[in-house]
Amino acid sequence: MSLLPEAAHRRTSPLIVGVHTVTFRQARQFVPILLPIGAAAGFDGGTTAVVLLVVGITLLSLVTAGLTWWRFSYADGPSAVVVTQGLLARSVRTVPNDRIRGVEIEAPALHRLLGLVRVRVDAAAGAVAGAEEELVIDGVSRAEGDRLRIAVLTHRSAPPPADGAAAAPVEEEFARFDNRWLLYAPLVGTYLAVPLAAVGALFRLADELPARFQPDLDGTDLFDGRLLWGAGAAALVLLVLGSVVGAAVVNWGFSLVRRGGSLIAVRGLITRRHTELEIDRIRGCTVAEGAGMRLAGATRVSALVTGLGDAARRGQLLPLGPRAQAWTLARRLVADPGPLLPHPPAARRRRVMRAVSGSLAVTAAGLVATALAGWWELLVAGVVLTVLGVPLGLARYASLGHAVGPDSFAVRSGWLVREEAVLQRRAVVGWRVRQSFFQRRAGLATVVACVGAGNGGYAALDLAADEVPAFAVAASGPWAATLSRPAR
Amino acid sequence: MTAAPSPVRTPAWPLSRSAIGLWVTEGVISSVLLGIAAILLAVFVPSEAPAPFPLLRWLVPTAAVAYAVLAIGVRPWVRYRVHRWEVTGDAVYTLTGWLTRTWTLVPIARIQTVDVTRGVLQQLFGLASVAVLTASSQGTVRVPHLEVDVAHRFADDLAHRAEQVRDQAT
Repeated sequence: MSLLPEAAHRRTSPLIVGVHTVTFRQARQFVPILLPIGAAAGFDGGTTAVVLLVVGITLLSLVTAGLTWWRFSYADGPSAVVVTQGLLARSVRTVPNDRIRGVEIEAPALHRLLGLVRVRVDAAAGAVAGAEEELVIDGVSRAEGDRLRIAVLTHRSAPPPADGAAAAPVEEEFARFDNRWLLYAPLVGTYLAVPLAAVGALFRLADELPARFQPDLDGTDLFDGRLLWGAGAAALVLLVLGSVVGAAVVNWGFSLVRRGGSLIAVRGLITRRHTELEIDRIRGCTVAEGAGMRLAGATRVSALVTGLGDAARRGQLLPLGPRAQAWTLARRLVADPGPLLPHPPAARRRRVMRAVSGSLAVTAAGLVATALAGWWELLVAGVVLTVLGVPLGLARYASLGHAVGPDSFAVRSGWLVREEAVLQRRAVVGWRVRQSFFQRRAGLATVVACVGAGNGGYAALDLAADEVPAFAVAASGPWAATLSRPAR
Repeated sequence: MTAAPSPVRTPAWPLSRSAIGLWVTEGVISSVLLGIAAILLAVFVPSEAPAPFPLLRWLVPTAAVAYAVLAIGVRPWVRYRVHRWEVTGDAVYTLTGWLTRTWTLVPIARIQTVDVTRGVLQQLFGLASVAVLTASSQGTVRVPHLEVDVAHRFADDLAHRAEQVRDQAT
């Protein structure tokens, strides 16, 4: 293999045919066609028909997997990666090396059994969205995957440095997941959703079971107090366990290593993922803490990387961890802009007003309803919501903050998920200043730093209006002086 | 509480005056459509219909007339007043919005593409819109309704200067 010329077309491992047969990867697309045919022919032929059907589908899956493997080849040349595929309509996709934004290697469970990996080349095509942006080379050996990754990434960086440096790039560990941090998982909304989804699937399954397999519950009193409490406690324990297991599956053995000019994140219990980010493309970090996570001092750190597809998952630098570690990590990537400054008192009034305005409307409607029809329930609900809105508004104000340092700046907002974005000065590709009617009366304005990474913009809510031009100039560059009034 | 009327400077240049004509035309078209709908309602709803309909027969035409007055007589002039734009030595700068005002500033060094578009009505009035795009989805500057030659000169100038001062642009 290695003696072939460099641009030679390579094939994936034939073992992948087995994997794809079992997972019906290619045969899946025939399901919409097969279902009506099956329904028309009727499934009532008894056991033989079912066996025949299963054998037939497996054979179909084997054939399609085999054909796909046979028609698939890839080549990593000195200037581009080429993937040729397609059964009848051939497609040749060529991605120039300088357009490649990253390479991800993942190894799902079956792939790991056979020593295979799946390589995703993030092509950052820009114009086409979604899955089209990447080349997927499914089913190469682990060694070949590593070779491909290194080959693609070294072709891309201009002239390779002197051989000594290239052979042994400096490795430095940035973060390593401590399994005790899994205990934070029950406080994180996304991990809590995992067991809930599983329970939903179970209920659907139970619904579809034939009646004779379903336990007969009609005799017992379902509303017996003890049973209810017991079920509640069991559900709570299951929820907690499920979220911990869910977090473990995704984050097991997470480590973040710097090798040369890139950061390499490895994670996952069943599917191992290997993501590489270029440090030069990192424009900032976000440090996010959900309301529950704040109780335990847990945080999540993501990198804001320009031109990164699927950034929410790939940009993760620390999926879950204690605050101190998270900030140490964030500071290594982006300079510390200094302590956050609070926003003016008018911002506090505005946060509280916004938090209670909805419930004030409910209260007013409740007053009308009480006067006209004697419905006092709505009034009570409105008053309770208004009272609850005040601390919410104060908490939202407390999480507002901004800071400007010599090389970076930070903005923080949010209560349910409090997110602090720390951005480099060079990250800013534009400013957007917004002032609503009420903000104008209060002398406030919202400033959004437009960034070509992450979600596109990070806002400093309710800054004092006269601080805006100075903040923009300090956080980006002299070009932002266009915002300030001409000196008279 | 009294505060400075505007947190940042107002861009210097207004849009083309022909934009008012275009907005009036748009207002006329939408008013006519709304008027037809109101007339259809008045014709096809029987006069002895149940409770809410007699009220609607009066309410809908009144609302349509009010909309027509606003859309033809007021909105074009308000829009003309609130849209401002400017190109400075190193940035493009716009202001839009009446109740909620939005100022957008993009440095020429970070411009990725400059688009000039001309809709059907715009061609009648000799106008064109310019959109200046950056790597950020939120950092887009749109200048609606400039005279065609101004728009083209503006776009060419920006593209040319962006090429000269471009850094990484992301």
